Amino acid sequence: MVNKDLSIEFLNVKFENPFCLSSSPVGNCYEMCKKAYEVGFAGVVFKTIGPESYYIDEVSPRFDKLDKECTDFIGFKNMEQIAEHPLQENLNDLKRLKAEFPNKVLIASIMGNDEKTWEELAKLVEEAGADMIEMNLSCPQMTSHAMGSDVGTNPELCKKYCQAVKRGSKLPMMAKMTPNITNMNVVAKACLDGGADGISAINTIKSICNLDIDKFVGLPIIDGKSSISGYSGKAIKPVALRFIQQMKSDPELKDVEISGIGGIETWIDAVEFILLGSSTLQMTTSVMQYGYRIVEDLKNGLMHYMEDKHVDKLKDLVGLANKNIIPAENLNRDYIVYPHIDEDKCIGCGRCYISCFDGAHQAMQFDKKTRKPHCDEDKCVGCLLCSLVCPVLAISKGKIKVKDNRKCEIKNLII
Amino acid sequence: MNSKYLKSLDEGFSYQTLKLEASRCLLCHDAPCSKECPAGTDPAKFIRSVRFDNLKGAAETIRENNPLGAICARVCPTEKYCQKGCLRSGIDKPIDIGNIQRYVTDFEQKTNMKILKKGVENNKRIAIVGSGPSGLSLAALLLRDGYKVDMYEKESKLGGYLRCGIPAYRLSNEVLDYEIQRIIDLGLNYHTNTTIGKDITMYELKTYFDVVVIAVGYSKGKILEMFKDNPYVETAVDYLKRIKENDGNVLVDDNVLVIGGGDVSMDICTSLKILGSTNVTAVVYEELFEFKASKKELEDARKHDVTIIDGYVPTSVHNNTVNFKHRRLPYDLTMTADKIILAVGQTYDVENLDLKIDKNEAITKTNYQIDDSNVFVIGDISINKEKTVVGSVKSAKEALYYIKQYLGGK
Repeated sequence: MVNKDLSIEFLNVKFENPFCLSSSPVGNCYEMCKKAYEVGFAGVVFKTIGPESYYIDEVSPRFDKLDKECTDFIGFKNMEQIAEHPLQENLNDLKRLKAEFPNKVLIASIMGNDEKTWEELAKLVEEAGADMIEMNLSCPQMTSHAMGSDVGTNPELCKKYCQAVKRGSKLPMMAKMTPNITNMNVVAKACLDGGADGISAINTIKSICNLDIDKFVGLPIIDGKSSISGYSGKAIKPVALRFIQQMKSDPELKDVEISGIGGIETWIDAVEFILLGSSTLQMTTSVMQYGYRIVEDLKNGLMHYMEDKHVDKLKDLVGLANKNIIPAENLNRDYIVYPHIDEDKCIGCGRCYISCFDGAHQAMQFDKKTRKPHCDEDKCVGCLLCSLVCPVLAISKGKIKVKDNRKCEIKNLII
Repeated sequence: MNSKYLKSLDEGFSYQTLKLEASRCLLCHDAPCSKECPAGTDPAKFIRSVRFDNLKGAAETIRENNPLGAICARVCPTEKYCQKGCLRSGIDKPIDIGNIQRYVTDFEQKTNMKILKKGVENNKRIAIVGSGPSGLSLAALLLRDGYKVDMYEKESKLGGYLRCGIPAYRLSNEVLDYEIQRIIDLGLNYHTNTTIGKDITMYELKTYFDVVVIAVGYSKGKILEMFKDNPYVETAVDYLKRIKENDGNVLVDDNVLVIGGGDVSMDICTSLKILGSTNVTAVVYEELFEFKASKKELEDARKHDVTIIDGYVPTSVHNNTVNFKHRRLPYDLTMTADKIILAVGQTYDVENLDLKIDKNEAITKTNYQIDDSNVFVIGDISINKEKTVVGSVKSAKEALYYIKQYLGGK
């Protein structure tokens, strides 16, 4: 069995592997975190602890999911707020977890409603034994506007609260970003200015997932009504990767350490977040759907990837892809890649023909008798939509053509 | 009542498995499945509707094309038609189109959709003799176009072979009744327990109606010469009818020999096993590679432990002992059974119908019409070659065109 060292340092804390629970329903109490540690998670971001005065009163039901055809949980909507247990109970859980799992990383997520409560909470969780603090500046379903994602869009407020947390505790601290914003970098910089040591991204996206079209109301229905709340899961992975890349490509943020969050389910998702600059990874939706056991394949798959890539230290993978995400105007536009159709694999369904005609450039021809497609290269622009819709992967990248009057060495191209 | 016999052999899809099956469909361009149905069903269109959560649209696609959509969904040998062309076979196995159609038509029934509508009346009167699949289909099509239709059936209930021949575990009376009720709701005037030549004559029909359509089908089992007047012998058609009429409440023999290997043979073999016969042996003229029964029916028989001996032809019979010889090989076979059932083909009963028959077919022009008279022939005894339910629907649809032309309609 493959065995690679998956350990990594993040904000000067050693994680035995990059996988953590994110602050959410999956890390709501001692028993849950204990099980997650035992199954193999290196770290837990305990569900956000708020000020004593803030009373949590949840709705029922509180989740929804987006399906497509036979795939469910493409996206997930959650209306649950921060930890509902009394402050002291949460602190006791933190204490117990640290005592029983000294080699695992315990991260306390906190959320205050003013500078004073942020400072107090930071102090309390440090005393309880947390190794690290995550500031929840970004929960979209809080019933108070002094808390939650509205705070996370306000750089001045974020900076002020970071400073407050740093006054309360010397623990390494990361600020969790809301994606409900055009430019995350502004907020991230404000947080670093305020003393944050790292950034975690992203929190959930404000959403309405589905409607009950008979009752004219969003889901889930709570006494005939519903609300906007956070959307997560595989569907938001592309959004998370984009924000992380944008931070890592900003000269002022390029060295910031990031804990990546957003739809991670498989080791491939994990590798993607790492290659774009995440040192640790957090997950909730996949755990809610499949359980903590997903960490087994995340770890093993990542080890195999490292073995295949001849990488011994996980940190050597961090950010490897950042340099290859560049502004669209800088891309090489000198050539066209035509589709190559493997006639033996092709089963003649004609999906490439339909998509090329209706969604591209009418280049794919279809022989009604033989049921075989043929690409008319005079019309083909090389978009390769055909290869994406082919159900049997019979269409691959084929011949390359350099556009007229362009200079381009085909043999040097990476396609 | 025998609950085992009445229970559908095929469980069909749940909504979840339906969606899974529909998601396997490749949604082909110019889909081959939609070119293979004799009745012109467009599975590609209704499966796409299922895929995009439009069950009502799927039901319309099926029903508007085929008045017997719910029946065909259950009894059609789809592997010979739509599923034969399914390109999904290139990946694993064809889409189970029959069961998707079954789910959709069940949905249509549960939600009480009324898709077929009665046409504007045109005062042209048409008589249909026989209420099997071809007669019922034609009746629905004519009523939809505003014709007045009277249907004549010698049995006490409508349905013909659908009622008397197809076992309940493949087609229940509930499904059949519902399908027929839809057609009655379009304004069908029907006369059961009415035999032509006895209760009303062909001459009367021809005089009173603008058009008379003969849709009597192959209603009788054939009897090979050597088995005539043998008290151990019964035709599969008669036996199946007896079983169905009694909801499976029939005492069956322990050791039964069935001669023949088509769908009717498989039906009687499986029925007997379900009803409790210990040994059912089918001795079949065809060898397995050229078998006539549909795959599904053969599979059902095998699942029920029917013994199948292929390639033998009967040479002589003495009481309940039959001698066979192999068609190609020097093998002989002697079988003694409590009961001998003949499933060696069917024939027509056209007494008093004024029909000239040649090679099991009424002599008509290619347009289903007898000479230039107002009599048309559809179904099994027509020029249509498909002797299946879907073939009957096809013949009705084709004949409709010529009947309307004859009556000066469009």
